[in-house]
Amino acid sequence: MIAFRRREVLGFIACAFTPPIPALAQSKEPVLIGVTGPLTGQYAQYGAQWKKGFDVALDEINAAGGINGRPLAYVFEDSQSDPRQTVTIARKYVADERIVVEVGDFSSAASMAASPIYQAAGLVQFGFSNSHPDFTKGGDYIWSNAVNQKDEMPLLADFVRDLGLKRVAILHLNNDWGRTAKDLLVAAIKERGGDVVGSEAYLADEKDFRSAIVRARSSNPDSLALISYYPDGAQLTRQIRQAGITQPIIAGGSIYSPKFLELGGAEVNGVLTTVPFFPGDPRPQVQSFVKAFEAKFKEEPDAYNGRAYDTFILLAAVMRQFGTERKAIKEGLSKIKDVPSVVYGKVAFDSETRRVANPFVSRIEVKNGKWAAYEGGKITR
Amino acid sequence: MTLGPWFDYTINGLVVGNIYALLAVGLALIYGVSHLINFAHGSVYMVGAYIGWLCITYLGTPLPVTLAAVVAGSALIGVAIERIGLRPLQGSPRIAPLLATIGIGLVLDQVMQLLFTPDPRGVALQVPAWRIQIGDGTIGALDLLIAGIGIVSAGFLYFFLRFTKLGWAVRATALDRDAAQQCGVDVNRVNMAVFAIASALGGVSGFLVGMYYNSIDPNMGYHAGLKGIIAQMIGGMGNVPGAIAGSLLLGLVESYGIAAFGTSYRNLFAFVVMILILVLKPNGIFSRGRSLPPEPLTGTFIAPSAPIRIPMWLVVMLALAALALPLIVRNGYYLQTLGIGWLYAVLAISLTLVAGTAGMISLGQAGLLAIGAYASGLLAIKLHLPVSVTIPAAGVITALLGTLIIFPSFRLRGHYVTIATLGVGEIVTLTILNWDSLTNGPVGLTGVPPLSAFGVPLLSGTWVYEIGLCALIILALLQWRLLGSHLGRTLRAIRDDDVAARSYGIALDRYKGLAFGVAGFTAGITGALMAHVFSYVNHETFTSQVSLLALTMVILGGLGNVSGAILGAVALVSLPEMFRVLAEYRMLIYGIALLLLIRFRPQGLLGTV
Repeated sequence: MIAFRRREVLGFIACAFTPPIPALAQSKEPVLIGVTGPLTGQYAQYGAQWKKGFDVALDEINAAGGINGRPLAYVFEDSQSDPRQTVTIARKYVADERIVVEVGDFSSAASMAASPIYQAAGLVQFGFSNSHPDFTKGGDYIWSNAVNQKDEMPLLADFVRDLGLKRVAILHLNNDWGRTAKDLLVAAIKERGGDVVGSEAYLADEKDFRSAIVRARSSNPDSLALISYYPDGAQLTRQIRQAGITQPIIAGGSIYSPKFLELGGAEVNGVLTTVPFFPGDPRPQVQSFVKAFEAKFKEEPDAYNGRAYDTFILLAAVMRQFGTERKAIKEGLSKIKDVPSVVYGKVAFDSETRRVANPFVSRIEVKNGKWAAYEGGKITR
Repeated sequence: MTLGPWFDYTINGLVVGNIYALLAVGLALIYGVSHLINFAHGSVYMVGAYIGWLCITYLGTPLPVTLAAVVAGSALIGVAIERIGLRPLQGSPRIAPLLATIGIGLVLDQVMQLLFTPDPRGVALQVPAWRIQIGDGTIGALDLLIAGIGIVSAGFLYFFLRFTKLGWAVRATALDRDAAQQCGVDVNRVNMAVFAIASALGGVSGFLVGMYYNSIDPNMGYHAGLKGIIAQMIGGMGNVPGAIAGSLLLGLVESYGIAAFGTSYRNLFAFVVMILILVLKPNGIFSRGRSLPPEPLTGTFIAPSAPIRIPMWLVVMLALAALALPLIVRNGYYLQTLGIGWLYAVLAISLTLVAGTAGMISLGQAGLLAIGAYASGLLAIKLHLPVSVTIPAAGVITALLGTLIIFPSFRLRGHYVTIATLGVGEIVTLTILNWDSLTNGPVGLTGVPPLSAFGVPLLSGTWVYEIGLCALIILALLQWRLLGSHLGRTLRAIRDDDVAARSYGIALDRYKGLAFGVAGFTAGITGALMAHVFSYVNHETFTSQVSLLALTMVILGGLGNVSGAILGAVALVSLPEMFRVLAEYRMLIYGIALLLLIRFRPQGLLGTV
């Protein structure tokens, strides 16, 4: 197992120097996507998930002839999701004429620091994890297919309302993402007639939430809402249940991952969330992706695997239809219609906001240690 | 049974303090014997957790066997750290082993990340799952096991130190290493035994904590290690029972802090308590005396050496060549990389003044950057002042504010300065995080205006390069002029022997204040420039990693050496860029480079001035 991981890492390094080229198009220059994301540092696991999604997408795209005969490949620069490094990498990609489109970075803060450089140089910055409402406001070269928090949080609040929950206590990650999401969720819950009775902000490196939970409980909520990633979300859920609190837990879609189940154990049963991508989704394109992913990595894909895959499929479709010029890609994004997507069904962009028009989410829950579609109605207590 | 939330907060504080205690005991033991704050301890804790996880997951071992494997494996790592990493540094200046532990920690973390991926993993619970209701919360079997292991190991250590021959040798070595050696104690063996015991404890605590939270990851060690260091500082450096009491106290303070102010204040409380203890009772809360024990000074803290002098004409030529470089190199990426390198060089010269010349090894320089960055950013965003006004203003604000917050630590020396400044740096970032109304809290400052002159924005890589270089030349000249004056001589005198300096009538606080003031001004300007170049700053932009990087630059170049600091900065900022193709290995290579440097050229490339 360890040896396998090592080979995988070395394999990737080799890939970085000699991009995988299918037999079909051996003589042609590859079309290069420049990715910036965290491969080391505290967010390193997310960059590792991206790569798996990208690799499955590349297999599929290049087996189908690449971009009009040219193979598609990517370079992945490690930014540690640090705004200083994304700026430097941006200068590098902008100056490298082989890069036709940039993908990333992970955190909106790190991505937005680099936006002015991409915008000034006319290279599309395509952020697929950037749910920050201001991300695409950086200019007409800044695009995203992430679900905007302004769309996602009201959908989560709808779920809260439909469950019949009125007094919510929120626990959220204290960074720009968690804070923005929390503010939007509070507003959305209040619009729907609910009440937010308490909110606690915790730091990414914390593992002990006992005292935060005592504080949340003191506000006497009828439910707890989490705005977390899966490691801290699992931790919170465990400690909430261990504190003897039985109120329903509803979480933002960012906790969705098979890892959430592994780290949370039996205590995460009954946790509710809304997600744009869900491998149990019966749609054929989702199932063919899940199959390809499981064949390659022997594990179930999670949200970032799915989004990463979706992003490359989308960009490949744009490049096939509109060409691989930097400007053509920007114009193609505003014109492209009906690209099949494991996240959205079909993707088209709103050319004003440069976000995906009409996102939707599935409501799911943890049932017997597995993610399953939520079929219940109101929670009666 | 309801006893109100305060009872729950108390229990929670004790449960968490219990976990800190296992780490703090090992750290106290190592400090007691080798007067070394072991920054690699958190990494051993992480490795111990992985050893346990491997045993359970792949071999299916029961708890006693798993524990034995963790003890053996972690002890071996401890022995290796001592034998390979630290023993060759005997006789080198005392800053060297401190930095070596930081380097070893970095290397261990990176190696584990490469082997096991950064993904967190679950550790199967190997103790019964029952829980006891206490107040409105519960505690489980694992809480009791952790407390039991903490108490038993403290008892075992007490017995070992009092009643065994090796224990006597350990205590003798702790009292006076040279005298112990002359009496025939094999000091190396003692050190090795201490590292083995402490690391075994650290590994066990990592494993238990991993099982406790059902989650381990390669980055889990850094913050845990820091908490252990704070806890043992509260209890008194090198005091084993004090470390346990200090840990419980730290847990309680954090828990009450959360209760009173909210969850995001937790770490702020921890660091504030640490600074208070350092200033008021530097020997820990259980000591009687207020003054620090004399540090055994076989050799000074900083390596003495003859600096390599660079002739003036060469410096001028190099500066001119650097200014003209954008005429040849037009690639924005290279210019940006070098421009950022110049900015770090300014940071490095600010640090070399306090660390090298005044002898206060600071790990809080990032806090000064953050003050400068926020000062300039806020003045530009909220008051719409032009950048040409906000940047010098940020320098002045940082000089005043920075000196004020570091002032209480002026009378500390050696390791204590390093820990205190680390704490001050953390306090600055945590204050920024929590002072929402001024700093936007976690959202940070977006839309910091770019550098500009007469209303024209200077966005391109060339401008970043030229502005960084000009700032560097001006501030380096200022500092060079300062160090050549009587001020530089006075500061060096304080560094080399503060008692002698004081008896010559030098007012230590005033001169240290002056050094920190100039360093704060320089660092504040750097932070301000960075804010305008990055266009975005938040509380995570200037972490303790940045302070560590700055200190490494200064040591690479040679302490107190202005041209050395510039060389160190350019090497360490452009070096990682060179390794960018090896993305995952970059930090590892950086750690190994640091270790090799400490081993083979601790006085830096250009030597200490």
